[in-house]
Amino acid sequence: MSETVLQTVGLTKYFKDKLAVDHLSLKIEKGSVCGFLGRNGAGKTTAIRMMMGLLGPTEGSAELLGCDCQNLTPKIRQRIGYVTEGHRLFRWMSIGELEKFQKAFFPKQWDEKLFDDMIEYFDLSKKQKIKSISNGQRAQVSLALTIAPNPELLIMDDPTLGLDAAIRRQFLEGMIQLIMRQGRTILFSSHILADIERVADRIVVVDKGVLKADCTVEEFRNAIKKVVFTFEKDAPAEIDIDGLLRFRTDGNVIETTLINTTDEQIKSWAKGAGAIEYNYLKLSLEDQFIDFTEPNKKGKLFDWEKN
Amino acid sequence: MPLWIQITPGSNKPIYIQIVEQICDAIVMGKLAVGQKLPAVRKLAAELVINPNTVARAYKTLEQARLVTTKTGSGTFITNPKLQEFDAVDYNILLERINAVVSRGLSLGLEPEQLRLMFLKSLNKFTQDNDEDIK
Repeated sequence: MSETVLQTVGLTKYFKDKLAVDHLSLKIEKGSVCGFLGRNGAGKTTAIRMMMGLLGPTEGSAELLGCDCQNLTPKIRQRIGYVTEGHRLFRWMSIGELEKFQKAFFPKQWDEKLFDDMIEYFDLSKKQKIKSISNGQRAQVSLALTIAPNPELLIMDDPTLGLDAAIRRQFLEGMIQLIMRQGRTILFSSHILADIERVADRIVVVDKGVLKADCTVEEFRNAIKKVVFTFEKDAPAEIDIDGLLRFRTDGNVIETTLINTTDEQIKSWAKGAGAIEYNYLKLSLEDQFIDFTEPNKKGKLFDWEKN
Repeated sequence: MPLWIQITPGSNKPIYIQIVEQICDAIVMGKLAVGQKLPAVRKLAAELVINPNTVARAYKTLEQARLVTTKTGSGTFITNPKLQEFDAVDYNILLERINAVVSRGLSLGLEPEQLRLMFLKSLNKFTQDNDEDIK
């Protein structure tokens, strides 16, 4: 039943000698909503641009809807929606003109009513010119333009960047509406983990161009744990527990962030190291993401006590 | 419209657990009665602006706890006002919460006896049969 809608195999991009995307291999199944995560400069936009055929890979390949991304035919492109970072639209056009322009690329599948409903819902009028509306409104127009052709695959590069909370929520509502239609697949990048948590069922994490995780949100949430071990006297200097991402020692207490460490492993390490007790702390998705992508942080940003 | 369900994404509790807990609470507090229908998955998802799979996951968890049953085509209904099997995980979560309340109470300077009375009062609020001596 599962059908691959998007696949990359060893997708790699060098800009001169700088490695931006490093052998990225991933598969996105039909119907999934995939949050694409990574810190600034992790290679998300480069990967997306290669998937869309806007940038040639140095090595490797990508396929969208079974078609190589370097040779996407107009027919295939009609089935894909793409929202670029920053919602670049022709500034001199009005919303109505943009609609006509966009519709010409999707003559058979354009959902006029959906477009009109969205424009009305967003409190916009078709007479308004792009140059005279705000960034948030531009994002709304760009969402309406992308969703109206009813794309099978929607790829969005940080679509809610810089939007205020209310407009971001409306944008997510639009995404949920699209998800509700059977078999629609979405890949979107974002830095707002709470949004990812709302709409995504899978997450893909890249760090320095390398794929670090590709799993369901629930698997990610279960994989990363924070455990605090308490010792009678000083905590041991060496922490050799499996899956250690990050730790902090304060006297007789060690706070650890662990990945894929089983409860049995935690128990047996605590026993072996002589901990008198240990407790699990709950982490938000955001905390998990930060500990996952920035392990072993050394020192502190500020040392308040020195001053 | 289920006004009483409110989710907080970004909290340390997964969204589906937040929904499960609020529905459980609503059943216990009598806001949801046996036979009552839960909102349709897609409707609740649109309402809360979350992925429908998350709502479905919450309903499935409730089903596994035998609090609700899903009838194909007609919806999900409350079937049982009480947890049938006491899940060890739920038990631990509950214990953790009680511990938090007790330690907070003690740090506020309340006497153990006062805390005990508060606990009984609260228990009394939800169970009608033992409303004799505590006020």
